[in-house]
Amino acid sequence: MSNPSPTYQTAKGFCLTSAFWMIVGTLMGLIGATELVAPDLTKNIGWLVFGRVRPIHINIVLFGFVTPGLLAAAFYYFPRLLKTELYSERLGVVTVVAWNIALVAVVLTLMLGYTQGREYAELIWPIDVAVIVVFLMVFFNFIMTVKQRTEPVLYVSVWYALAAVILTACTYALGNIVWRPSSGALVGIPDAIILWFYGHNVFGLLLTPLSAGVTYYVIPRSVRAPLYSHTLSLLGFWSLIVVYTHIGTHHLLQVPVPTWLKVIAIVDSVAMVIPVMAFLINIWYTAKGRLGEIHADIGAKFVFTGTIMYFFVSIQGSMMSLPDVQRVTHFNNWVVAHAHIGVLGFAGMIALGGLYYILPKVTGRPLYSRLLADIQYWLVLIVSIGFTVVLTIAGLIQGNGWLNGETVYRILPQIHPYYVTRASLGLILVIGAALGFYNIVRTLFVRSGEAVT
Amino acid sequence: MYFPYFITYMSIGLVISIVVFIWALKNGQFRDQQRARFLPLEDDLDQTAAGTSRVSRYEMYGLFLLALAGLGASAAVLIYSLFYAP
Ligand code: HEM
Repeated sequence: MSNPSPTYQTAKGFCLTSAFWMIVGTLMGLIGATELVAPDLTKNIGWLVFGRVRPIHINIVLFGFVTPGLLAAAFYYFPRLLKTELYSERLGVVTVVAWNIALVAVVLTLMLGYTQGREYAELIWPIDVAVIVVFLMVFFNFIMTVKQRTEPVLYVSVWYALAAVILTACTYALGNIVWRPSSGALVGIPDAIILWFYGHNVFGLLLTPLSAGVTYYVIPRSVRAPLYSHTLSLLGFWSLIVVYTHIGTHHLLQVPVPTWLKVIAIVDSVAMVIPVMAFLINIWYTAKGRLGEIHADIGAKFVFTGTIMYFFVSIQGSMMSLPDVQRVTHFNNWVVAHAHIGVLGFAGMIALGGLYYILPKVTGRPLYSRLLADIQYWLVLIVSIGFTVVLTIAGLIQGNGWLNGETVYRILPQIHPYYVTRASLGLILVIGAALGFYNIVRTLFVRSGEAVT
Repeated sequence: MYFPYFITYMSIGLVISIVVFIWALKNGQFRDQQRARFLPLEDDLDQTAAGTSRVSRYEMYGLFLLALAGLGASAAVLIYSLFYAP
């Protein structure tokens, strides 16, 4: 088949967006981690206090690094899987530009202290509206591409990406209470419920399905084998949609929310094993006996590693939803470890894998440096695992102290060494992000090396 | 009072999901699953695998050092934790 959409401007734009904002996002994380070790470091710099740095870190990592990286691959595989052209490359480029303007606004407003103060929903109303609009623009482009397809069957990646984008537009609007621009919040417990309904969906209905979509495309292609079972993949997709949408209350098990909501959340958090294992069995059977091919392709290597992290984060997540376990793990660094295996080890790894997989194809040239990409792979891997180890230990110390009624200040010196290690790991990640950015910019803009035929 | 928002949202979500599911069923999305497995492979199968890097020996040394540093950091963490254990 001829190349259906030869320019791939949108995919390239999202690649660059992701690579650039990965530096900013991780740098903010590093500054935050350093402040936890040396609280007075930025004492007189209002716009860099921890309370401002942290929301910038999570918003930028989420909407600046991981989501655009995963969308870059989606903008590449949509036309190919549907055997048509992207509906509008121009709309795509406008989306990329609008997306970046919104990200700049995110950093500036949060630094200046404009926040709605709700976790993952800090952004003020005008930016909320911008985020919803860009997601709708992406959805429009995707759905119109589906409409003009020449391949009748929608491959599972297409299902996942469509669902991720439209569901996020909806849950974002709901979770940010866009109909109340001034506060962006309801009042009391109902606000917590709706916030965590949304907060959980950001991971479950944005990062997870987009990552699954990329994996379902990259793994069969890189091992040059058909998917193990398309039926199983659809089963995984529909069960994810059914189960994941209403487990947000597992973030609130220690809050006076209605018990029936907690029960639903816990039961379905455990039931998450079904979509998770449906996905993993499918991917691992597809790759079975072909690990050599995965090792040979840096994109596939990132993606496959991401699937292993997904196994860990999900099994851990199901456990953490059990009230008895959460009595120890809640309110401490255990959850932060879980968050980093999920967002960095799973979704971030797969986003980088998607980038590296499509870059040679959208530019028509080999990657500028496989070595740099390999180094970045190892840095991200070491940091993901390192974060998991140190934050889990710190979390257990805190959880144990909490359970025994120990005062906070007596625990702080005990976790100090882990915080130092954590900040050093953060530095390694920023270096990794910078290497990746250089590699990606060189690949996109510098015409060197032989063309891929 | 959050029920109205929640119930409205859930019902809209449920209705849309069911409509999309029925569309998929009628449209034959669940048929022809054997062919669907091959969809990612259908365009230009001439793809060349991305080459491994040229300076592979130095790479191995470098990666080995990095891995060692990572393991060292983890070991240091464990030793610290034992050292600080009450
Ligand atoms: C089966 C899958 C999963 C389940 C059942 C699950 C469960 C949980 C639970 C119960 C918590 C709350 C812990 C607490 O506050 O005590 C949590 C937090 C979190 N999870 Fe997961 N998780 C899963 C997968 C994932 C994935 C794939 C990601 C990332 C892509 C992720 C990212 C996060 C983040 C960022 C938090 C921290 C939220 C906060 O700021 O408090 N989780 N998860």
